[in-house]
Amino acid sequence: MEELIRLSHGDGGKYTSILINELFYKYFGNEILLKGSDSAVFSISKRKLAFSTDSFVVKPLFFPGGDIGKLAVCGTINDLSVSGAKPLYLSAGFIIEEGFSISDLSKIVRSMGQICKETGAMIITGDTKVVEKGDMDGLCINTAGIGVVENSYMPKKIKKGDRIIITGSIAEHGTAIALERYKIKASGTFASDCGPVYNIIRSLAPFYKGIKLMRDPTRGGVATALNEISASAGKGIRIYENTLPIRREVNAVCSILGLDPLYLASEGRVILVADPGMSQEILECIRSCKDGENSSIIGSFFDNGNSLVYMETEAGGRRLLNTLEFPMLPRIC
Amino acid sequence: MDNGILIKKMINEIQKSCIEKLNIMEVCGTHTQAISRSGIRSLLPPNLVLLSGPGCPVCVTDESLIDAAVEILRNDIILATFGDMVRIRGSLESISDQLHKRKNIFVLYSPLDCLELARDNPDKQVVFFAAGFETTAPGIALTVKLAYEENLHNLSFLTSLKLMPPVLHKILREKQKKIHGLICPGHVAAVMGAGYFRFVAGEYGINAAVCGFEPLDIASGLLFLTKKISSGYESAFANLYESCVSEEGNETAREIMMQVFDIADGNWRGIGEIKKSELFLNENYCSFDALKKFNIRPDKFVSDQRCNCSDVILGNIMPYECRLFGKACTPQKPAGPCMISSEGSCSAYYRYWEAGL
Repeated sequence: MEELIRLSHGDGGKYTSILINELFYKYFGNEILLKGSDSAVFSISKRKLAFSTDSFVVKPLFFPGGDIGKLAVCGTINDLSVSGAKPLYLSAGFIIEEGFSISDLSKIVRSMGQICKETGAMIITGDTKVVEKGDMDGLCINTAGIGVVENSYMPKKIKKGDRIIITGSIAEHGTAIALERYKIKASGTFASDCGPVYNIIRSLAPFYKGIKLMRDPTRGGVATALNEISASAGKGIRIYENTLPIRREVNAVCSILGLDPLYLASEGRVILVADPGMSQEILECIRSCKDGENSSIIGSFFDNGNSLVYMETEAGGRRLLNTLEFPMLPRIC
Repeated sequence: MDNGILIKKMINEIQKSCIEKLNIMEVCGTHTQAISRSGIRSLLPPNLVLLSGPGCPVCVTDESLIDAAVEILRNDIILATFGDMVRIRGSLESISDQLHKRKNIFVLYSPLDCLELARDNPDKQVVFFAAGFETTAPGIALTVKLAYEENLHNLSFLTSLKLMPPVLHKILREKQKKIHGLICPGHVAAVMGAGYFRFVAGEYGINAAVCGFEPLDIASGLLFLTKKISSGYESAFANLYESCVSEEGNETAREIMMQVFDIADGNWRGIGEIKKSELFLNENYCSFDALKKFNIRPDKFVSDQRCNCSDVILGNIMPYECRLFGKACTPQKPAGPCMISSEGSCSAYYRYWEAGL
């Protein structure tokens, strides 16, 4: 196979087939995909379905702990998972800039295949387009996915006193990306938390009746996700700074760069709203799961007629957490 | 003892010693942000007012320089700058207004990264738009020196590098509100030495403390100042950030700065010209001056009539006393520079606003 993507790789002809056969089939190969038909045909039992799509345009394409491919598969799988669904089938659409390295593309496709293997989800249909050099920057991926809702999970009405649980340390993805983007060499371990959350959610099945909502705090971070939850519940949220799982290194890098970890993305975490009576059991269950050790109850709902989110700081003060209005940029001094 | 408990104890003490109405100014934007972010502001007694000073580099960069950056962008060049600089408006446009049309704008964290940009793009002119105070100036000076030594002819600098003391002299001389105490920026003092700020106490009889940026540092600064003020002191001075700040500061950093820059009169956005308040590339390094290279003469200072940012940073009004605050001026649609940078006092107030909680 040649080294760089050419326009001919996207024209549906000989080179497109080479790409499909030698790359996509190699890493995504499954019975439905390999039929090579115009659309994937499959049957599903008569249950409630979840359907989600997301496009990925992250810079840089490779970062500690993952790459755009892993992110694209996890993103859709996690959106299905937090809806209480088991992710089954995915589509993958690639838009590639002419001249993109095929070896980089293979790495990306391989890590997509890897996550599918781990979670049992399958990419069963896909598309590739190549655009002229300069018309875009590198590579974009869109994934869409279908899952079946398990154990009749459904979101429930949120009440005053309900607890907010986060399944692990926050801002890991956003920090790893910022370090790459601004070329900061920092000692310590920094890696995106990008990964599937399905396993944790599945092990919570016995507690579904006590789980009122699940949401993944991706773009905009925990603070933005909490604002969305608060607005839709019509209730206020109070969180406590000293219960937030933020690793020391992450905090340090954020203060150097002037970024706020509450607004940085996590790509392998879930925020849960839980009935206060079951929240401790739920927490213990999450903590016993892989990647759930740092889970924490970070706050609760209150009702004063307003939707707002605030934090009680370590100093005992209060700080309002607004929705992120524009992307954070590193500060000057 | 846990920091949270210590801070609570300090706040208790502050509340006890704060009998009269006190105005304390934190000069630096990083302090403004930390005070809001840590929730300390919400804990202070109502008669202790914290005024935000002129120490946010974005807020004091003159419109004419933003216009110059936009003008330079009309050429086929690469422009690199610090984060918040892209969002601040000149007289008409901001650099971010150009972002959708161009791909040649880079946001850097370290000024040294622009050397690599210039090396990687030998056939293009690279312009680094640098704003800051004594904190960022040494790093920029070092970058200029390295570019000079490496003969990087395709790199130049558009600078807005301000000095703290001249604007403080202006505020303390002309102050419209009585200022009882000053929290001096720990990072400027790390470079220039704690002694750099002694004049606040010596010349103006105002209690002052050099502080770090952690909630505990700030609480101890406020405690020091309120205690001194309530016991009738008028010119107490303390360096409360001794782990990073010595009396003399960082001589190496200062030397590099003075090798590269001259001090001359500078234009401060919304405030106007302040004598001997800005650093400019000196004769030896003037070939790296982007204004000269692109033959641009920034228009003389034009005052921004749309907002009261200058009154905010001179300590004359509180951010929420501006008629635009939170209405015609929000972080999403900033009318003035104080709402743009995360360090801008209006933005800090807006973002961490106590919302009547």
